Amino acid sequence: MIYLFQVLNGIGLGMLYFLLAVGLSVIFGLLQFVNFAHGAFYLLGAYLTYDLTMRGFSFWAAMPLATLIVAGIAALIEAVLLHRIYKLPHTFHILVTVGLALVVQELVIIAWGPLGGSVPAPDGLQGVVILGDFIYPQYRLFTIGFTAVLAGLLWWLLEGTRLGAIVRGGSESPANMALLGYNTLRINTAVFGFGAGLAGLAGALAAPIRGVEPFMGIEALSVAFVVVVIGGMGSYTGALVAGLLVGVVQSVMTTLWPEGARLMIYVGMALVIALMPRGLLGRA
Amino acid sequence: MINRRRFLTTSTLAAAALAAPGLVTRALAQGEALKIGVPVPISGAFAANGKFATIGAVMAAEEVAAAHGVQVSTLDLDTEGKPATAVRKVQDALAQDGVKLFAGGILSSESLAMGKEVERGGGAFMTTAGADEITGVDCNKATFRWSVPTYGAINETVRPIIDALPDAKKWYTITPQYVFGDGLLNAAKDVFAEKGIEHVGNSYHSLTDKEFSGYLTNAIAAQPDVLLLLNFGAQSSDTLRQAVSFGLKQRMTIVVAWASGLEQFEALGPDICEGVYFGAQYWHGADTALNRELVAKVQEKHGFNPNYSFAGSYICAKLLLEAAVKAGSPDGAGVAAALSGLKYQGLTGEEEIRAADHQVIKDYYLLKGKAKADMADKDDYAEVISAGKSFLSPEDAGCKMPA
Repeated sequence: MIYLFQVLNGIGLGMLYFLLAVGLSVIFGLLQFVNFAHGAFYLLGAYLTYDLTMRGFSFWAAMPLATLIVAGIAALIEAVLLHRIYKLPHTFHILVTVGLALVVQELVIIAWGPLGGSVPAPDGLQGVVILGDFIYPQYRLFTIGFTAVLAGLLWWLLEGTRLGAIVRGGSESPANMALLGYNTLRINTAVFGFGAGLAGLAGALAAPIRGVEPFMGIEALSVAFVVVVIGGMGSYTGALVAGLLVGVVQSVMTTLWPEGARLMIYVGMALVIALMPRGLLGRA
Repeated sequence: MINRRRFLTTSTLAAAALAAPGLVTRALAQGEALKIGVPVPISGAFAANGKFATIGAVMAAEEVAAAHGVQVSTLDLDTEGKPATAVRKVQDALAQDGVKLFAGGILSSESLAMGKEVERGGGAFMTTAGADEITGVDCNKATFRWSVPTYGAINETVRPIIDALPDAKKWYTITPQYVFGDGLLNAAKDVFAEKGIEHVGNSYHSLTDKEFSGYLTNAIAAQPDVLLLLNFGAQSSDTLRQAVSFGLKQRMTIVVAWASGLEQFEALGPDICEGVYFGAQYWHGADTALNRELVAKVQEKHGFNPNYSFAGSYICAKLLLEAAVKAGSPDGAGVAAALSGLKYQGLTGEEEIRAADHQVIKDYYLLKGKAKADMADKDDYAEVISAGKSFLSPEDAGCKMPA
């Protein structure tokens, strides 16, 4: 029975991991850009939610506001700095975005201090759901449902709308899109802001579960990369499958072999790299 | 990652009007300055603790400089919470900067490694880390420890709660898998066995874990009366925060055996801490002369109440520097001789440095989180339920002090 509960808990974790990773995957898939500042945008989303709720905003107002602010900041950084290095090798992407992540982290410490804080779950979602011996927080249940709906919307947006077609076109053939009269620079800025906004949203959603502390971005980045590598760089469905897989493996392992639970997600990543270098659903 | 190193010169010659120091300054070589290294994590997961520790050491340095008319400087050494980095920084400080005194080491693994290195370099080291081994089987001439080790922390938290809650017979533990966590777990198991408590399960986790829902699911399945958290710092905050979100506070008593004090309460907030028991090395509300004095000074200078990281670093640095002044030299042998057997009025009341193993004998506190409505001020998060001294004898701790 405990394993069934751990699978359920793992699905909840996996949905959070998916949300964390999907922005990274979108940015890589569409811009071919390796963004090591993704965790920093997650950190910023969490802290802005913390700050806004401390100022008296409801969580429901703070969450979208934080997401939009992060997306705006990211779009600005892309327009001013990052678009200049798209054509350089990936090592330059890593160098610049790691630096950016460190700057954001230090700014967070300067602005909010080194100690961190807690964000209460919104009213109405502070209780628990009891299923026999299994207890699950209502807020975590909400995040599963919310992320599932968001996953569907994202898929529709990218695959089923004209906007998605423009974005994908900008990624695959910028010259043709430019000939058709589209401003590919603006498309890239919007895609980057969108991907980073998803990281900010993940941070906002995670804040009532994890609280906030200045180094949460590093952990988030490592989880996001594991998910993206397992799922396949740039694969939207891969991020969903891998997020769920990582969440379930981690949760079940806390019962089977607790001290190795976290290790197993990295072992899983190493196996996928060895056996399927493009990831489970990566593009050839 | 970030390799920050800054040299803080805290004070030059103090006013000559101070009483006794005439003798003292003559004992130190002409123009000789005392240097104290502060090896603590300034970056990484435990950086918040390190930040307060460095400020605490600076305050101690300033006080000793002013009281004795000597030059004192502090050297921040960012250990990043990693033993290998800590050892390298200490080696550099010994060899290149001529530092002999070291106050720091928040994690047990780094403190054990640094203590050996300082002994090799002929210095003196005082730490707040918790593993029994530091003043137990791995004790050495150079290493001193202010904090109560894991044995005392468990005995001063678990025993009073067992006595207060006689019907709570089933306990579950969540433990970080390294020397500190194992020290707490083993001590807890001994108390459980002695008191007839059923230990219904334990979940080990790694030092990098942030997500504890799986471990909490294990705990829920074991249906304990008490959940005992044996992790430290941000990890114990994460575990507690998630345990409260799983509604465990309403289903069982939650105990954090080794809380990091005020900084942890600030990060968690009163809603999470209410009704939870916390073991603590230091509490700013403790009613002792030196503590009242420290709280007033820190309030005046920094505008906040001292927390454990600040207070632990402050007292370690102060004791080492005072001993060096008394010995007339920062060399390890003289400092160790001045510290061994010393009795003084410390932050927790009467404290004594046991000569046989260099362990400070001091109080450990059991706190209980207050409801927000009951807090007298913004830092009045907890009431002191009990305080006491529990220590293994040097022999039982396994210390064979080298001659």
